Amino acid sequence: MDNVYTRSKDIALIEILDRVLDKGVVISGDIVISVADVDLIYVGLKVLLSSVETMNRLKWAEVPCPESPGNL
Amino acid sequence: MDRIIETDDPRVFIEEMEKLNVPGSKRINADTKNVEKGLVKLVLALVELIRGLIEKQAIKRIESGSLSDEEIERIGETLMKLENKMQELKEIFQLKDEDLSLNLGPLRDLI
Amino acid sequence: MKIYSYCIIDSKERIGDGHIRGLNGAPVYNIPYRDMGIVVNNLNGDIKDLTKSHLLEHENVVEMLMKNFTVLPLRSGALFNREEEVLHVMEKFYGDFRSNLDRLINKVEFGIKIIWSGDNIRGEILKDHASSSHFLAATKDSPGKMFIMGKFEKYKIERALKEKAEICIAFADNFLNRFAFEKKLEKLISTNLLLNAFYLVDKERQRDFKEAFELLRIAPDNFKYLFSGPWPPYNFIRMGE
Repeated sequence: MDNVYTRSKDIALIEILDRVLDKGVVISGDIVISVADVDLIYVGLKVLLSSVETMNRLKWAEVPCPESPGNL
Repeated sequence: MDRIIETDDPRVFIEEMEKLNVPGSKRINADTKNVEKGLVKLVLALVELIRGLIEKQAIKRIESGSLSDEEIERIGETLMKLENKMQELKEIFQLKDEDLSLNLGPLRDLI
Repeated sequence: MKIYSYCIIDSKERIGDGHIRGLNGAPVYNIPYRDMGIVVNNLNGDIKDLTKSHLLEHENVVEMLMKNFTVLPLRSGALFNREEEVLHVMEKFYGDFRSNLDRLINKVEFGIKIIWSGDNIRGEILKDHASSSHFLAATKDSPGKMFIMGKFEKYKIERALKEKAEICIAFADNFLNRFAFEKKLEKLISTNLLLNAFYLVDKERQRDFKEAFELLRIAPDNFKYLFSGPWPPYNFIRMGE
């Protein structure tokens, strides 16, 4: 049976990730072109910065959490 | 006010939102084996973009009544051949429609 | 050691005295620059991959700060090697940050999503258009014309669908925008997602906004609604203007 509480947590996660990953102030470029997992080129639609790094890769790690077995 | 998240049907929203791009999917993988396929994708995506624009233009002119029957037949035949060719190319390079969609952001409505 | 950043705040004061913890449990602090600051923490050792829990921690920090400050949330993932680099960014974007902080003081963001049954609506429109498809039989001998007229029909259906969507969205927006300073509406981005909307609302009018949403929700349609917020103003940052 659908656990409404679980699903709401999934929605909260989607809402948070949409903002934290894709919105907000971007000071390191909009698109990152990655070669061999090293982020090289920042293609910014507005501004470019040379002294800011970004993370290599985004990976969805499973957060151990008893009520939410689903993966995004 | 503490943060509220309310919906009467969470499952339906999760389904819909997962259909859209996964957040953070703006990284383009340019590893060697992907580069060629990436270039083909880009070229075909552009061709598809142009094909769509031409088709839309043709439809607008048909609607405004400014094309003769022969002109409609000719442009229809050309667009039909172009669409078939695109279909062939997609099959050869094993690309799906979604692979060829360009994220145009605010320009989306042009298509 | 790297410096990971969360948001810009409208203050040059120290914050929290290490009470607020961010990624890897490191204490969060404010690097001041003129009349504002950037909230960061130090990361010992590199984080190669951002995980879900990092991102939740990131958001948690920003929301805690939102209680006491005007915040400009940063997109996650900005890492600096040295404090000089941080100050360089602050100098470069000071004007943008200042004007955003001034515009966003005391404002919060709400998200509204509406789902409709796109296929059903398209089905209804198809029924209305059925009469005009009789001409297709007459074009059997002109394959080109048949092809393009088929596209024309599809185009008319989609256009009718968009028009219906506009009407429904305007109806909803009417309820919601009276308490909003700004709004961002993403219309019909998929068959069933009729609207993905963000509204910038005054902190003092949050409850009014929620009440307006409740009124909308009881409208006699088959639509499904999602309400979320208050959020930091992720969707209302304007850089480079």
